[in-house]
Amino acid sequence: MRRALPDLLWTLLLAAVVALAPTVLKALFAQASVSYLSLAANAISLAILALSWDLLARTGQLSLAHAAFYGAGAYTAAILAKLGGLPLAFDLPLAGVVGAVLALGLGSVTLRLKGIYFAIATLAFTEVLKAVVQELPTGLAGGAAGLNVPPLFRPHFVPGAMQRWEIAYQRNEAYFYVYGGLLVLTILVSVLAQRTRLKAAFTAVRTNEEVAAVMGVRPARVKLLAFVLSSALVGMLGALEAMRLGSVIPDGTFAVSTTVFALVTPIFGGLYTTLGPILGAGVLSAVEETLRRTFAEGYLIGYGIVLVASILFMPRGLVGLANRLARRRRGTPPAADGEEAG
Amino acid sequence: MDLTLLAQGLVSGVLAAGLYALVSVGLALAIGVIGIINFAHGEFFMIGAFLAYQLSVSLGLDPLISLIFVAPALFIIGAVIYQSTIRYVLEAPELNQMLLTFGLSIVLQNLALVIWGGDPRSISNVPYRSVGYQVGGISIGLVPLGSFVISLALVLALYWVLARTRLGRAMRAVAQNRVGASLVGLEVNRIYLVAFALSALLAGIGGVMIAVIQSPTPTVGFAFTLKAFAIVVLAGLGNIRGILWASLTVAVSESLVATLVPNGDALRNAVFFAIIFLVLVVRARRTA
Repeated sequence: MRRALPDLLWTLLLAAVVALAPTVLKALFAQASVSYLSLAANAISLAILALSWDLLARTGQLSLAHAAFYGAGAYTAAILAKLGGLPLAFDLPLAGVVGAVLALGLGSVTLRLKGIYFAIATLAFTEVLKAVVQELPTGLAGGAAGLNVPPLFRPHFVPGAMQRWEIAYQRNEAYFYVYGGLLVLTILVSVLAQRTRLKAAFTAVRTNEEVAAVMGVRPARVKLLAFVLSSALVGMLGALEAMRLGSVIPDGTFAVSTTVFALVTPIFGGLYTTLGPILGAGVLSAVEETLRRTFAEGYLIGYGIVLVASILFMPRGLVGLANRLARRRRGTPPAADGEEAG
Repeated sequence: MDLTLLAQGLVSGVLAAGLYALVSVGLALAIGVIGIINFAHGEFFMIGAFLAYQLSVSLGLDPLISLIFVAPALFIIGAVIYQSTIRYVLEAPELNQMLLTFGLSIVLQNLALVIWGGDPRSISNVPYRSVGYQVGGISIGLVPLGSFVISLALVLALYWVLARTRLGRAMRAVAQNRVGASLVGLEVNRIYLVAFALSALLAGIGGVMIAVIQSPTPTVGFAFTLKAFAIVVLAGLGNIRGILWASLTVAVSESLVATLVPNGDALRNAVFFAIIFLVLVVRARRTA
């Protein structure tokens, strides 16, 4: 626990930055801060997606089911809002619970699958869940057309006291805080998993399950714990995104691309670290936005080239690159094939 | 139950299995021989489809004739991609291979989007598209039949190459033991190059066929990547011969549900992936 202290202080600092960011942005950029906040929410969303995926990957489970839990959370929020009765804010933890329960179910039947077999089984699970949601009674889940989701926040316009754009600002500011809060929660979970004995258990299970079992780690428990934590977090993210974007639809909400981004970002940033997925999300969001503004059409070609180049020139991601540079400056020889720190 | 309908479902399923097998066998070659988790495999399929479309629009070529150009083109594209990227991640962890090939897939897909746009493209000058036969109440289209025959012939030809030729033996040797193969004088890197290019070629030919059967968009490839992966995993990694049976199983089940269940066409994908999921989970339980 004591080793977690520096990381917890960093997390506190990040929370302070999140708390101050909207006010500072508004003071500096006025109306432009509206879109900055929205871009920031996108980047945070990617960071949560990536970090929660990485949490699971630390136990060696290469999941292609992240879209399933994201979608399950989103649909939980949509259906609960439709049924009414509960304030919308309660839907977030409930979406987390749904994600966790599904993960417990999927995780228990896939415990013995390894590597690509696990990956394909989880991918298949996603496709089946998508079809199940689509085949639910239209009155409940909206079928192939999906559902509209009410927004979490409804800003009030006060004529005279505020300008038109400030409505959008208020809305984006409120979402930004909730997204920031979920990010901080995800980071806390990740830090605790990295700086306690859990890290040894996760790493042991990833490297060799049989040896881990001999050392007194229970692989099944460790794997399920990681699966449940990861899916609860991404389930809440799904619910939040559904409220911010305003609708859910099977083909979009359960899209494989969500899974792809969840896995690409941590690899790009640096696997099995807390910093890597967050850094990866920040850099990839910036790269994508810059490319989008520079080339209207086909900007994703550049994005793909960045991914390809990144794996060829920095196989251990941004964090690995930073470590290598730091070591070179100190003059210590690079570690042979060890774990990257973080 | 309506027997004719059942037979129709069976026949359509068997015919569809050919194309699945053709695309999957290429991926199995990449995974089994080279050991590369290639999530860009379906993009070769997509490129094949759009090259056939382009040759039909610009030169008026029949898709069957365009195969003469498309197949070598895909072989070269595969070889170039192998030389420029794939060979650097052969020893890398699975996840690095996945990121690289996802990146390649994004590049190729969006290149196609810029060149051909996002609308479905169909080849218009195919006189035999609507030709079909009636056998005892079952209708068999010439195009699905032809694609089945060509696919099956290519898959069997690949089996023959792997079993009987020097190249095939070299590929199997490299797949089994890379170091050992290089010690007895095999040029491992060149064999990988040929295997990868061949895998792109097989997918590309599949693409030409889909261009005749459907009206593909640039995203058609990724859907086939996922399905091909599922089939390869169902057959078992390294089991190239099992691909035929795995394809047959999923294609026939898909088709039976689509024909027998009311509104079943929407369930095709669900059935496909439900079978994969169940087989993987049950098999893992039994072997443990």
